[in-house]
Amino acid sequence: MSDEKFQKAEVADLLGVIERLAGELSLAEEPSRFIAALESDAPTPAPGSGSAR
Amino acid sequence: MSSLTSLSAVADAIRERKLSPVEATRECLARIERFDARFRAFITVDAPGALAAARRLEAEAGRRGPLHGVPLAFKDLCFIRGLPTSCGTGNFEYFRAEQDCTAVARLVAAGAIVLGKLNMTELAMGAFGDNPHHGHARNPWNPDRCTGGSSSGSGVAVAAGMALGAIGTDTGGSIRLPAGCCGITGLKPTYGRVSRAGGMALSWSNDHLGPMARTARDCALMLQAMAGADPLDATASPRAVPDYLAALEEPIAGVRVGVPENFFFQGIDAEIESAVRAAAATLGSLGAQVREVRLPDPQVVNDVTQIVSRSESAAIHAGPMRERPGDLAPFARARIELGLRVPAFDYLQALRLRARLARTFSREVWGEVDVLAVPVIPEPAPPLAVALEGSLEEITARHGRFSRLTRPFNGLGLPALGLPCGFSRAGLPLAFQLVGRPFDEAGVLRLGHAYQRATDWHTRTPDLA
Repeated sequence: MSDEKFQKAEVADLLGVIERLAGELSLAEEPSRFIAALESDAPTPAPGSGSAR
Repeated sequence: MSSLTSLSAVADAIRERKLSPVEATRECLARIERFDARFRAFITVDAPGALAAARRLEAEAGRRGPLHGVPLAFKDLCFIRGLPTSCGTGNFEYFRAEQDCTAVARLVAAGAIVLGKLNMTELAMGAFGDNPHHGHARNPWNPDRCTGGSSSGSGVAVAAGMALGAIGTDTGGSIRLPAGCCGITGLKPTYGRVSRAGGMALSWSNDHLGPMARTARDCALMLQAMAGADPLDATASPRAVPDYLAALEEPIAGVRVGVPENFFFQGIDAEIESAVRAAAATLGSLGAQVREVRLPDPQVVNDVTQIVSRSESAAIHAGPMRERPGDLAPFARARIELGLRVPAFDYLQALRLRARLARTFSREVWGEVDVLAVPVIPEPAPPLAVALEGSLEEITARHGRFSRLTRPFNGLGLPALGLPCGFSRAGLPLAFQLVGRPFDEAGVLRLGHAYQRATDWHTRTPDLA
């Protein structure tokens, strides 16, 4: 396969995954919820532990 | 073998005045002089700068911090004023930032000495450690084998005792793969734990800077200095930085360690599987509760993460590629061109999906276990010549297979500590990774430290003679 054909096929495969899954997304789902998920799933720090810069 | 056995040991020796910063720096420079022509860990060595800094630190009455006088080296995508930043391209001035890389500046503020800038795969796009401009990095355990990438020089420099620690960056496995191939320890922190400011971006959403050193304790020492909020990086978390060194000493009894029953052991080398399962059993013998766990399909995370990374890398690097095509080799150009084919619609859907996948993973996994134990590399470091042969299609597929066990945790943003867990019959390092919930670097470092107190894989060094 030529490099150009390969690039098209590679991207088409990945876009197929996105198309299959994105139909399930609700209107409220936005990229920033990724950061929110990380912050909300973090273990609760012990009182007095750690330091903020 | 170097007398500089680990970053922690050297930091302790300097603190106790059994070793001076100048002596430590001279030993690293001597090893670079002796071995680097063969192993290609460095792109730029700053011997005069390192020695001058060591003399200044030695003359100071007090200590700047816990890394006072410890010689480190940095992947050549970290901007440091006065030194070139090639990012592994053919242009020594490929990347400039307004200020020094925050993570480097914080290590220097803690007393570290800058030895120089480390080799890497071009633009951090690659899993094997090859570089057409600066020479392929060579694995100290067997120079015919790949080093892992993209932080190839970081892996080699630490494994070969040329530096006590290094910064690597990890967009799909680029800290953990070279750590695994070179037999050292490397931590990809949680997304946002370490500022990305002053480091060349490959993918804003998936890039992570982290420490690479000989032990989990070394990584904890480095992370302590590197982590924390940064006004220069809006994605750096304002969350307080725990005391990672104190956390190392906490007991691991009762910690739930999950060994996945899907994806991570499928199609991997038998020696790797055996070593990783043995490592999990060792954690069990130390008091952890080891159990099987089923994960939401990590391949979906890999696919979504690839769309995001490829789009962002094209957006970042297509301009320089068009303006200065000679800076880049054909493989890097082809990878950028691939990203140009992703529509904005799909890129944004991928970002939305990533958020959902992170929530799903958290809901289904962290209720069952506290940490995952999984392989890093699907096989011991392959021959470099084999890794690089064939068409773009074949090489790209090989990259995808080699990073398939690390990339999910970039997409999910989770902390992952890679550490050695044995050697193959051919004498190549084997490795596993401990993956924790967001911002639980303390948890994976504690477990890694307990494992390294019970084993000696991390103390073994290659015979460079």
